[in-house]
Formats: sequence, structure tokens, C-alpha cells
Amino acid sequence: MADHDAARIADRYADPRPGDLRSPLRFLLWLIAGQKWRVLRASVVGSAWMVGLALPPYLLSEAIDEGLRSRDNGALVGWVLALVAFCVGNAALGGLRHGTMTKIRTYSAYQTGLSTVRHATRLGAALGRKSSSGEVVAIGLGDVQAISTALTVTGPGVGSVVAYVVVAVLLFTISPLLAVVVSAGVPVLALTIGPVLHRTHGAMTPYREQNRALTNRLIDIVTGLRVLSGLGGKQAYLGRYREDSRALVRQGYRVGAATSWTGALGTGLPTLFLAAVTWIAARMAAEGSITVGQLIAVYGYVAMLVAPVSSLIEGAQQLTAATVAARRVIRFLALEPDHSDGEHDLGPDSGVLHDPLSGTEIPPGSFVALVGAESADCTGVLERLARFTASDATWGAVRLDEVALPQIRSRILLAENDATIFAGTIREAVAGRRAALEPDLGHAVTAAVASDIVDALPDGLGSTLDSQARNLSGGQRQRLRLARALYAQPEVLLLVEPASAVDAPTEAAMATRLREARRGLTTVVTTSSPLVLDRADLVLHLVAGRVAASGTHQELWRSNPAYRSVVSRTTATQGQEAAQ
Amino acid sequence: MSTRLPVADAAQIRAALRQDVRSDRRAFAGMLVLNALAALAALVGPAYLGRIVDEVTGAHPSVSVVNHDALIIVVFALAQILVSRWALLIGARFGERTSARIRERMLERALSLPASVVEHTTTGDLVSRGTNDAGMVAATLRDAAPIIFVSAVQVLCIAGAVLVLNPLLGICGVACLVGDVFVLRWYLRRSRPAFLAQSIAGAAITDVMESTASGARTVDALGLEQRRIEAAETAFAASIKAQMHSLRLRLVLFPTVDASYVLPLAAILLIGGALYEHGEVSLGAVVASTLYMRQLAGPLDTVLVWIQTLQNAAVSYARVEGLSAAPQAPVPTGAIPAGDRIEVAGAHFAYNADHGDVLHGVDLVVQPGERLAIVGASGAGKSTLGRLLAGIDHPNQGTVTVDGIPIADLPPERLRRQVVLVTQEHHVFHDTLRGNLKLAKADATDDELLAALGAVDAGWIDALPDGLDTFVAGNGHRLDGAQAQQLALARVVLADPHTVILDEATALLDPATARNTEQALAAVLRGRTVIAIAHRLQTAHDADRVAVMDAGLVTELGTHEELVASEGTYAALWRSWHRD
Repeated sequence: MADHDAARIADRYADPRPGDLRSPLRFLLWLIAGQKWRVLRASVVGSAWMVGLALPPYLLSEAIDEGLRSRDNGALVGWVLALVAFCVGNAALGGLRHGTMTKIRTYSAYQTGLSTVRHATRLGAALGRKSSSGEVVAIGLGDVQAISTALTVTGPGVGSVVAYVVVAVLLFTISPLLAVVVSAGVPVLALTIGPVLHRTHGAMTPYREQNRALTNRLIDIVTGLRVLSGLGGKQAYLGRYREDSRALVRQGYRVGAATSWTGALGTGLPTLFLAAVTWIAARMAAEGSITVGQLIAVYGYVAMLVAPVSSLIEGAQQLTAATVAARRVIRFLALEPDHSDGEHDLGPDSGVLHDPLSGTEIPPGSFVALVGAESADCTGVLERLARFTASDATWGAVRLDEVALPQIRSRILLAENDATIFAGTIREAVAGRRAALEPDLGHAVTAAVASDIVDALPDGLGSTLDSQARNLSGGQRQRLRLARALYAQPEVLLLVEPASAVDAPTEAAMATRLREARRGLTTVVTTSSPLVLDRADLVLHLVAGRVAASGTHQELWRSNPAYRSVVSRTTATQGQEAAQ
Repeated sequence: MSTRLPVADAAQIRAALRQDVRSDRRAFAGMLVLNALAALAALVGPAYLGRIVDEVTGAHPSVSVVNHDALIIVVFALAQILVSRWALLIGARFGERTSARIRERMLERALSLPASVVEHTTTGDLVSRGTNDAGMVAATLRDAAPIIFVSAVQVLCIAGAVLVLNPLLGICGVACLVGDVFVLRWYLRRSRPAFLAQSIAGAAITDVMESTASGARTVDALGLEQRRIEAAETAFAASIKAQMHSLRLRLVLFPTVDASYVLPLAAILLIGGALYEHGEVSLGAVVASTLYMRQLAGPLDTVLVWIQTLQNAAVSYARVEGLSAAPQAPVPTGAIPAGDRIEVAGAHFAYNADHGDVLHGVDLVVQPGERLAIVGASGAGKSTLGRLLAGIDHPNQGTVTVDGIPIADLPPERLRRQVVLVTQEHHVFHDTLRGNLKLAKADATDDELLAALGAVDAGWIDALPDGLDTFVAGNGHRLDGAQAQQLALARVVLADPHTVILDEATALLDPATARNTEQALAAVLRGRTVIAIAHRLQTAHDADRVAVMDAGLVTELGTHEELVASEGTYAALWRSWHRD
């Protein structure tokens, strides 16, 4: 099973060393050091394979000189057999090289990706402030790839350098002049292609941006299709898309103008160079200073050099891209989580929760509702009490910002209305960090009035949820979030609008069962629904961020017009009319 | 609820492909001719090298003949660069134009999908066809297609050249490569699912990284750090497993094909040796043939590397073209209603035949200018009835008519003026506020736009930096959920239909704002028929009549006072909501 694989791979790839974040290059070296034997193997195999490409021209030239030209059938068969055996062997070596390189890439992607995920969880709530999920996705989609691809340099890259040197030496044994021409000519060739590649890159950047903009416009139109089909405006949006699409075509022509040169020169220049070297070699052969077989060998060597040279050019490009990518990765990994780990401990029995800024006081074990015309006022109180923002909030005698954050998190749970539901089974979603144990799990689901969701799905609690539980409706998601919060059984549960997306009968049932499930434990909800307010021990009415009135729902409803207007969703004057 | 859009079959793909080539046939023919010329130019090198070999091995090698032949090799190498550059340029432009045609056609088709299809299609499916699939086709047309085209033409020309040079040697050489066709077929049959598994695993990694980052706050609150790391490990393990599977397939294909390239060489050398011994071929012809066979390896490898991309692009192309097979909007009967009386008679509706009816025979008459509220538990069929009333879906049995004409049969332009449905799902286009409003009324003046915003109590317009020209999505001034909902309502005011259906259309607003917006809207919509689906009973209280739905039927119908007096479900609900 996948989980078994995960454990096995995690075990094999486990790397206790912290990533080296001092520079992009050091980060790449860190990835290499973590798999040094594999990298060593890749370098050796890569070099052997690349050098091996130089041997067939030699064997071929011997077969022609010794066998064919001398009309010696025995020698011919012998050299041909050697050629076949060698090519088959080198093909196998090529396979080995490809396999090793693939593994180097997967290892690097694994380390980079998991480091990013680990760090994202470490940053927690601070991630939204210091970075963005878009940044993490960019790392996951692009940078991980760029970094792992660049490590190809360790195999074919090293191999190319070795092959280049070997060919130069082989040529030297035939003719020092040819050796000099070739070994000087190839770098010149590579440097000639450089500027062309640069131009391609220059044209590619605006093209990619334009393409991304066009893609975004398409997503925009398609996601708004219901609006366009209900209200009109299709032609206007189609027209604008067409305009952008044509503009992209023009950008594409510019890219095409550059890439067509790269493509033609990429294969054409080596051919031209080959022609020039062949010319020199042919004259030498005509003059008798080299043999025909050697002429063919020179042709073969130079033709073979195309592979290492293009692989070096490619490697240089990949390394440049990887440096940019690694810089982004280490910038993210270097972000500090904002734990100001206090030295105080929370007592076993912690007393009243107090938020001085709003004047909110929550007695232990009570069920309290916060209500206000501005919902941000109420959520602000909960964020301070859960220490998601800086505050002077206290629990009993202790200031919350003087307590280690993990201690607070394990005892106070802030359950927000838009909290993420991660992909997985319903059982996993509700269980959260705890083990999924019956009958508690069933109790939590029932208390959140979510049993019908579970029953309606084919595999019950084992049914899978999409990311963000997109396969459920808003109201169903809300009930699952509540079930998850209840199953966590925190000492203090702070709920933001837990029933705003469900219909009235369901809301009534949720309020009743929530109160029942949290009996004896501290619970605070923000709400403006009378169905929930009516079941609270204490209702706090916030006006302009401060507690303006407190009491039970009934008391406040009767005595407080401002409260009544918020709850009945009427304006203040109409509220008075209703009361009269 | 959601249905998948169709995928084009082989015949449709061929027809679409022919059409795409035909619409740009001059460029296509140009590509064909120029690539053939470039490939022919590339053949000159080995041929003249063969002549040089003959000259050098002859009795009196002449340097001037060698110079002449070598010069020809150089000239043709230059010609090859220029011609292939031209060919690649035409190819790139052809690719750009064709991609543009494909993506524009795709959007046109998406925009002409009937409302019933749009309503029941997952946005993700359309988005992924428009972005991933159209992008895949475009990238293939831009990068892969020209290269594959060049290589395929080269392969044909080289094979042709060997056959012309010496038919017997040529046939032997080419026959040795036939085995590769079988290996390739073996590979392609398995590589497609392997590639799919790999991209699914890749998408899962992106999903884990994205959801962990965007849900970092939830991870922090619920202590899910370890769970997320495990999820990432599982996703990476699945990806590694998929990659290793594809690797195993490649480890069969690549080395086999790689090794097979030596077979024609061996065959030509051995057979050529025998023929040369008997004086039936020149040494030069044998040498040239072996060089051609070596030259064949390059383009064959290219085809091999890219053929997988081509296969994937074909699948994407089928998905993009599949939209043409989606159900079309029914041809309107042409009947135009004169009055606004809406009648639902015995309406049954099921989203799909297996799941049973959602509506079990609803009867309802809505008078022109009436304000009707529909209440009931979730799953009672309220939103379904709303969609029938909005003409999005046809009832399976019974009728939904306006002035005796089936609403769903009205042509889209007319339907839009008759009835508009506003739901909680709103969409703000990546556009200015003006653009977002004008889609409902293309010729609206700024005064009308501002009046419409005023009508929904959207006071925030005054705070926008550039007023109506403010960019209200993406990097601009992003509207929050409540503002977006007001924008949606302002569009309805501009569209000014005879009937408005509000399905929880103010659920995201603050209590106070919701109230103000509803009242402002009511003033503007006076005289229009308004059908409001709501779970806040205050809305029902304000309506002329209330319809209570339960299990797909209208169970109670009357004014608020009548229903409260009748002591039914509504009365019970009202009391629990409003205990005063």
C-alpha cells in the first residue's frame, strides 16, 4: 500500500542534516552530499558511456581499414563483432546512466519538496503574513523541478568533460593539428550558440507572461460562465480573449524567430564544423599523412562531440535556472516562525479568559456567545484569546504571550469558519491529529449534526474528500469542521460562526447538541442567530469592538434595542417598532 | 449533480486535424517542402565524404578534387542551416496560429454551451481543458511538432538516400530497424497509463503543498503538522513509485533501440564487404552507407523522445475538441410570452435517472409583481425548483411556464430579460468594476451603473481609488465576499428582468448590511416578481407569500400570518427562531 511505500521511502531518504541555506550553490551541494554514492556512480557511468560514444567510430574505421579495404574477411567479421558487442554494452550502460539520473532527480525533488512542506507547517499561521501559498505552489510546480533537473550535471555533465578530453587525446594520436583545431573549435562553437540562446530566452519571458495572462483570462471566463450565461456579456469577453490570443500569436512569432535560429544553428553549426574538419582531414588523407580509416574516425569523433557539447550547453542553462529556483527555496526556508516562546506554564486549572482590549471575560466551563454588527469585532476577540495575534489576553493569572505556543494550542482551539479541510477520508478529517477512535468519533459527528453526510456517502466515514472538501456543499463542510473541533476536545473551544451556512432546523439542532457535547468545558461562539444565542449561558454584545452589554439572550432581547436590531437584522428604528 | 463533458473520438479527431491543416495549408506545404530540402542538404555530407574516400583510396589521389568535394560539403552545410531555419520559422508560426485557432474555438464552444450543461459541469473540467489540454496542444505544436516533423522527413530522406546509393545495402540496413517498431508499440501501449499515473501523482503533490500552505493557519490551530508531513510523504512516495514504473518501461525501450542502431551498420559492413570483394560496389558506397545509417540514429532518437509527447497531445486534443460533441441548446420555439404569470404544474425533476426524483410533482402559481419566499430544510428541493423557475433545467415531467410558454424554451437573449437567478456563488471578473457591471447591460451609462450600485446599498464604491475604473480582482482592489455579492445584485438591477430569483443571495452579508441591501433592492425591484429562497426567516416574514418545501413538495403555501396561524411546520420554525 501507498502508506507502506511512504514509510519505506521516508526511511530510505531520511536526511537528518538541516538544509544548507547559505547560498543557492550550497543548497545544491547539500542535495548532492545527501546522495554522494549515487552521484559518484552517475559520474562514473556517465563518463564511461559518453567516452564509449567515441569508440564506435574507431571500431568502424578499423573494420574499414583492416577488413574491408584489405579484403580480409576474418578481420572484418572480428571488428564488426567487436562493434556490435561494444554498442550493445554501451546501450546497457546508457540505460544504467538514465536510471541513476532519474533516481538523483527524484531524491532531490523529495528533499526539496518535503523541506518546503515541513517548513510550511512550522511557520503555521505566520505563513500567510510572511509568504503566500502561491509562493509554495511556485516552489512545488517549478523550482523543485528546476533544481532536480540541474543535478543532471553530475552525470552527463561530468561525462561530457571527460569525453571531450578523451576525444582530444585520441585525435592527438592521429594528428596534433586536428586535435588543436577540434579542441579549440568546439568551445568557440559553444560560445557562438550562447548569444542566440540568450536571445531566445529574452523573447520567451514576455511570451510566457502573456501566455499566463491569457490562461488567467480563460480561467476567469470559464469560472464566471454561469454569470455570463445568466446575464449576458459573452460576446464582449470572447472578443477580448480573441484580442489577447492574437497578441500572443504575435509574441509567439517573435519567439519563433529566435528559436528557429537556435534550432537551425544547434544542429547546423556542428555540421558546418564537421565539414571544415573533414576538409582538413581529407586533404591530409589525400597527401597520405593519415589513412582512410583515420579519416572516417576523425569524422566519427567530431560528429560524436555534438552530444557532450550540447549536453554541456544544456547543463549550463539548467544550472542558471536552478540557481534562481534554489534562491527562492532558501528564501522561503529561511523564514522564521514567530514563536516568542514564553517561559511561563499554564496551570492545570486556568480560570477566567480575559481580553482587556474588548473587555471580554469568559468564565471557565461556560457556553458564551459573542454578537456584534461588525463580525470582525467578534473574530478579533477570538483571535486574541487563541493568541493568533499579539494581545494582552490572560488566562487566569498568566498572560498568554508569556506561555509557550504549543501549550496554548493544545488547550485552546480556534475553529474558524473558513478553516481548511484537507483531502483524505472523512475519518481522517474529523480525527485531526488524534487517532480515529470509536465511539468518540461517532459522538462528534452526531453532535455536529453531520451523520446524514456520512450516511449519504457510499463508504461512510471511509469516503474520501477532495481538497477543501469541494465535493461537499458549504453547509456540509461547516458541519464537518464542527465535528473536527468537537473531536479534538479542547479545554477551550472558540468557534467562528459555526452554523452560518445551514438551514434553520439544522442550525437549531447544532446549537442544542453543541451545548450538550461541551457541557463542563469552555466554549465561545460568534453568531448573530437567535437559535444559537438562545442556548448560550451568557451573551456578550460588542459595539465598536467593546462589550456594550451582557446577559442572556432573553434579557438582552427584551431590554436592549441595539441588540435586538442586530439579531433580528432590522435597523434600530424598526427594532423599536417591533418591540412596541 | 455534475456530468462530464464528452471527449472526441478518433474520427472526430481526424476530421478536426484535417480541418486545422486545411485552414493553413500553404504554411503546411511550405513546411513540408523546406524540411525536405533541409534534409536533402544534410545528405550531401556523407555522399561527398564517400567520394573523397574513393578519391583518396584511388591510384592518384588529387588534393584539388578533395578540395572541390569538401567545399561542396561546407556549402551544403551552410545551406542546411539557412533552409532549416526558414522551415522552423514557418513551423513555429504555423504552430502559433493553429494553437490560437484551437483555443479560441474551445472558448467559443464553452460559451455556447446551454445553461443546463454549464450548470451541471464541474468548472474544473472546463478549466483543465482550456488550460492544461489546450496548453499541452499548443506547446506540442510549438516545440515538439516542428522537431518531429524535421526528424521524420530526415529519416525518410536518409532511408531513401541509402536505397538509392545501393538498393541491396539499403534494404538490408533499413530491414534491421523493423524490430524497433514492435518495441515502440509495446512501449506506447504501456507508457500512456504510466504517464497518466505520473501526472496524477504530480498533481497530488501540488495539491498537498498548496493545501498545506493555504491551510497553514488550520494546521497551526489543530496541531496537524505531523499529519501534513505524512500526507506529503505519501504523495511523494506515490510519485516516486509512478516515476519508477515509467523508468522501468524506458529502461526497456531506450537501451533496446539504442543497441539496435548498430545492426544496420554490421549488416552493411558484412554484406558490403562481400560485395566489395567481388567488385560489385565501391568502397566509397559502403562507407557512405554506413555513415548514413549512423546519421539515421539522431533523428530516430528525436522521434522516439518526442513521440510520447505527441501521444499525450493527441489525448489533450481529443478533450479540447470534445466540446463540439456536447449537447447543444434546444432550438427555441419562437413563442414569446406576453404576460409574467409563472405556473409550475406537476413538476418532477431528477438530476440523474439512478438517484430518484428531487422534486415529486410541485404545483405553484406566482403572480406578476408578487414577492414569494421559499423556505425549507436543506435537500428539500428549494434550489432545484429555483433552477426550473430560472429556465436552466427542464422538468422531467410536468411544466414550468410563463404565460403558458415553457420558460426553458425561451431563447437565451429573451430568457435573460424574463428571469435572472442570483445564487451565493458569485464571480468577480478580472476586470474593472465598470466591466463587471456592463456585462449585464452593455450600453449602460456611468450614472446607471452608479445607480445600480446605490440600489444594493454598495456604499463602498466611494472608497474605491479609481471609482468605476478600479480593477476589482487579482492584483487590484479585491472585493470581499459581501461586496462581491452586492456586485452580483447590482448586475441584476442593470439586467432588469421581469422576474428575479434570489437563492440565498444575501447569506454572506453582515446582518445589518443584508437587511439594508434587501430593502434597497426591494425598492428598486418594486413591481417585479421576486422569488427569494432563504434560510433566514426574516426574509419570509417580509414576503407577500411563503412556500414551505419538504422532500420535493410544496407542503404549505400562504401569507406569513396564515402559516403562523395554521400551526404547521412553518409556525414551529418561526417560534423557535423568534422566541418573543
